[in-house]
Amino acid sequence: MSARERRLDVSGLEPCEPLERTLAAAGELVPGEFLRVLHRREPFPLYPMLEQLGCAWRCQPGSTTSFEVLIWRGDDPVAAAAAADA
Amino acid sequence: MSYPGLALEQAPPVSAPFRFFLTAPLFGLAAVVLLLWLGPGLLQSRWTPGLLALTHLLTLGVLAMAMFGALLQMLPVVAGAPVARPLAIATVVHVLLVAGTAALALGFVMPSSFLLRAAALLLAAAVMVLVAAAAHSLARAPRRHAAVHGMILAILALTVAVGLGLWLLVGHGWSGVALQRGVATDLHAGWALLGWIGILVCGVAFQVVPMFQMTPEYPEWLTRHLNRLIFAALMLWTLALAWPAAAQLGVLAAVVLVLGYAAFAVVTLDLQRRRKRRLPDVTLSFWRLGMGCLLATLLFWVVTRATPGWLADPRTGLLLGAGLIVGFALSVINGMLYKIVPFLVWFHLQNRLLHSGLLGTGVKVPHMKRVLPDAVSRRQFRAHAGAVILLPLALLWPDPLLYPFALVLGVSFLLLARNLWAASLLYRRESLRLAAPAEND
Repeated sequence: MSARERRLDVSGLEPCEPLERTLAAAGELVPGEFLRVLHRREPFPLYPMLEQLGCAWRCQPGSTTSFEVLIWRGDDPVAAAAAADA
Repeated sequence: MSYPGLALEQAPPVSAPFRFFLTAPLFGLAAVVLLLWLGPGLLQSRWTPGLLALTHLLTLGVLAMAMFGALLQMLPVVAGAPVARPLAIATVVHVLLVAGTAALALGFVMPSSFLLRAAALLLAAAVMVLVAAAAHSLARAPRRHAAVHGMILAILALTVAVGLGLWLLVGHGWSGVALQRGVATDLHAGWALLGWIGILVCGVAFQVVPMFQMTPEYPEWLTRHLNRLIFAALMLWTLALAWPAAAQLGVLAAVVLVLGYAAFAVVTLDLQRRRKRRLPDVTLSFWRLGMGCLLATLLFWVVTRATPGWLADPRTGLLLGAGLIVGFALSVINGMLYKIVPFLVWFHLQNRLLHSGLLGTGVKVPHMKRVLPDAVSRRQFRAHAGAVILLPLALLWPDPLLYPFALVLGVSFLLLARNLWAASLLYRRESLRLAAPAEND
């Protein structure tokens, strides 16, 4: 199965919309999918919420925004491998 | 993957900061009642007991009350280090601060040396518990950015300001101890307003203005150096006042303080002008008013130095204090409450949604804008701005302008109380709904 990327740009949104939209999108991930969230700040309060949802994540410097957060389901090795290369 | 030092469980329960936020406008209303009761006689000099009571109802009862609550909430989020036993700490500090502030105000007005002695002990205990909790948290902070440095320096300044305040209080409350007015009072007010309040506002602004108001980031030259320069200038100023041979250092300190705070205000206004989203935002209005008052107060201070007649006028000190306490600090802190409170309501409700496994089931938590709608907050801003405009006029012509000022300020605090209590009730209602969605849907 090949992995698919979903992209979500929250860099122009006011709190709490970035958290809200990211959580909603993370909750909709299907097997083989990972989420790339474009963010202007590192969203520390998001991480424990992702943990609660059973998701894993990695934050890295972004190309068009300051940060990109890659999010995948914790029980999805295909998405995890794809996110590791993203 | 996990982030060290940050977990939802580390954020204090919502009642920990809320008790401080909900109490703050009540002390504001107590200040208004005192103003109406004592009338223009209150303003005869900066030393009248009524004015001392009024000042501390505002600085301790409103400003420190809100800032202590925000600090307990922000330490884990901004510094990444939890406060140990946050609910117990919040309860103890809140009770001590409420009782200490009430005893201080009553002790001045009655007057009662017993109440002043009680206030000294209660307020010393409140600050010691807060400082110990904050120091314990900050010592283990994994992140040491400008906001964390700002918090550390602000807490040190608070300790100095309260130490000086207690020294003054000993002179008021204990017979046989000489009252150290003048220099000690100036130092107490300087460390409280320009140290504790000013440094905390700058440090927190570096984080929250770009985040909540969608502005570009503050320039690094400001975030790296401003708070340290202000703190160093306050130390120089203290040395200059305590040791006459070093009086010239006082001039240098004053220049650094004026230029530092002016730079902060100008940069903040410029960042807000360049913000990305141009939607109406009441916090922005409060901050613009606060920055405008800060600049006007600094300019007025410079002018008074060059105008000997003004320097000697007792009203000058009142205008400077009012500009910093009501115009600057109250505006900015009042404005921040309109971001902090809705964010906390949303954050804790979202947490409940996650814990109950309801995310993605169609159950939603109210958006920040619904917790405190802009139209409701804007009404309070208009009342507050009206009070800020009337304040210098009331100080210059207290008879008859003090009464309209007091009434407008009273309306502002009443609206603030109503808005914050409404947000708190909405939180309670929504928590119950999330706890039993099947019964309610």
